[in-house]
Amino acid sequence: MSPRLGGLLQLSPVWGAPLITPRIPVRSFGIRSLNPPKPSRFNIGPGLPVLESTSTAALRRKANSLPLRTGAIGIKKGMTAIYDPESGKRIPCTVLQLDRVEVISHKTRERHGYYAVQVGAGWKHPSNVTKSMLGHFSVNGISPKRHIFEFRVKDEAGLIPVGQSIEAGWFQEGQFVDARSNTKGKGFAGVMKRHGFGGQDRSHGVSLTHRSMGSSGPGQGGGSRVYPGKKMAGNMGNTQNTVQNLKILKVDSENGIVVVSGAVSGPKGCVVRIQDAIKKPWPEVPQAEATEPATA
Amino acid sequence: MAALPAMRPLGCLRSLVRASEPIQPFVNRRFISTAYSKRPERVPLPPNMPEQFLSQIPLRFRPDPDREPLKIYPAPPSARKACKDPVGAVTESQLAVLDPTGERKAMFDYRRNPRSVKTGDIVRVTFKNGDPFNGIVMSIKLRGIETSFLMRNELTRVAVEMSVKVFSPNVNSVEIVQRSEKKRRRARLYFLRDKKHDRRSVENIVASYVRQKKAFLGGGNRRR
Repeated sequence: MSPRLGGLLQLSPVWGAPLITPRIPVRSFGIRSLNPPKPSRFNIGPGLPVLESTSTAALRRKANSLPLRTGAIGIKKGMTAIYDPESGKRIPCTVLQLDRVEVISHKTRERHGYYAVQVGAGWKHPSNVTKSMLGHFSVNGISPKRHIFEFRVKDEAGLIPVGQSIEAGWFQEGQFVDARSNTKGKGFAGVMKRHGFGGQDRSHGVSLTHRSMGSSGPGQGGGSRVYPGKKMAGNMGNTQNTVQNLKILKVDSENGIVVVSGAVSGPKGCVVRIQDAIKKPWPEVPQAEATEPATA
Repeated sequence: MAALPAMRPLGCLRSLVRASEPIQPFVNRRFISTAYSKRPERVPLPPNMPEQFLSQIPLRFRPDPDREPLKIYPAPPSARKACKDPVGAVTESQLAVLDPTGERKAMFDYRRNPRSVKTGDIVRVTFKNGDPFNGIVMSIKLRGIETSFLMRNELTRVAVEMSVKVFSPNVNSVEIVQRSEKKRRRARLYFLRDKKHDRRSVENIVASYVRQKKAFLGGGNRRR
C-alpha cells in the first residue's frame, strides 16, 4: 500500500495544483545525516581550480603523487640493526628479500584507464594455479608467480618491459621508499584493545562489564540509532598499512636482500610492497640502467 | 523330543562340514570404494561428428584445432634458495666490518668460550667519547649483532645500570677487572637488585685495578 497522502493533495490537480504546491509537506524516509556536509569556508575563492570529474582530470591530479617507476615485492625476513661506522649510530632495520620478482604485464591508460605495472614474485606450482591465471602467465612468457601486485606509475615511461626481473639493485642505498604490507592480525578484539577505549570502572557497582564499551550512542535526541562507523569490538589487524619514507640502508643484489630502516608492518614472512617514497624527491636513476633492460 | 538327545552326539559332525566350506579371507578384502582403478583414458571424439552434436558438448571438450596447450615457463633462479637466512647474511656482513678478528664475539660467547666475560664479573668499559663505565655484569644477551650486556654499579650512592651493545663502534674496549669469586648458577643475576644481594659500588675494586695496571704498563712505556 502506498503511503497515504495528506488531505490537501487529494484535491483535484486541475483546481488545486498552482495553489497548493508550495505547501506540500516534505516527507523524507530512511536515514538522514545529522550533520549534512557543509562547504568549507576556506575552500571558496576566485583562484581555486575547478574540480573535474573526468578520468583525465583525475590522472592529472594524481600526477604529482604517482611514482615514476615501479616498485618491487619483498618478503619480510626479520629485523636487525646496522651500525653506522662513522657516527657509531645504531639504526634498527628490517631485512626484505626479493625473490624472482618479474614484470608480468602492464595496465595502460587506453585499455584500463591508468598506468600500472603488474609485478609477480616467488613461484607457484602450476597445478595449484587456476587455468585463467596460467593462461595469463603463459601468454606473457612468465613462470607462475605466487604473489601478484600492481604498482601504479605516472606515465608510460614507467612501464618497463614485460618479463624484466626487478632485482634488489632496483633500489639505491640512501633513497627512500614506502613499504606497504598487512599488519599482524589480532583476531576479534574488544574496544579497549582495538580503539583504545578506557573501559569501565573496576568497582563502583560495575559488574561483568569492565572492558566493554559504554553507550553506543545518544538516545531520543540523537535519533535513537547507532551511527554508521561507530567504533565497536571486531576483527583487528591484518589490514593494509603503509609505512612511509623508509631509507634503504643496504642492497645485496646477489641474495636479493634489501635492508630498510625502521619497522615494516606485519609478521615475518609477510609480503611487503616497496616503491619509491612519494613524499621525497624521486631517486636519480642512471640513464644506462633505465635504457639497458629495454634493449635486453 | 526323545530323539534329540540321541542326535546330539552327532552335532560334532557339523564342524567338519563347516571346515570343508571355503573361508572368506577378511584380511585382504577390499571394498569397491578403496579399490584402485586406473583413470579412464579419454575417449577421443569420433571423427566427422555432425555439427549439431558438437554444439551439445561442453565448450571445454569440443575439439579445437587452433588451441595449443598452455606453455608453462620455468622459474628463474631463486634468491630465496641462494640465501636462506638473509638476516644472518646482513649480520655476518656487519660483523665482518665491526669485528673482523672475531675477538669481541669470542669475548662474550660465554656458552662456548670458557675465557669469556661471564655474569658476575666486574668489567670496565671505555667508550669513544672517553668516559669509562665500570660495573658488575648482570646479564649477557647473545643476539648476533645485537649482543649486549648489562652492568650494575653505584655512582654517588645511586644504583646505576647500563646496557652496552658489544659490537657498537662506540665501545673502545672491555676489560675484565675481576672474575666472580664463585661460579654463578644463574644466567641473569637480577637478584643483585635486591638489597640483600646488592654489591653496591665496585669503584674501589676498579680503581685499584687501574692503579696496578698503570704501574705495570707505565714502566713498560718508559722503557720504550
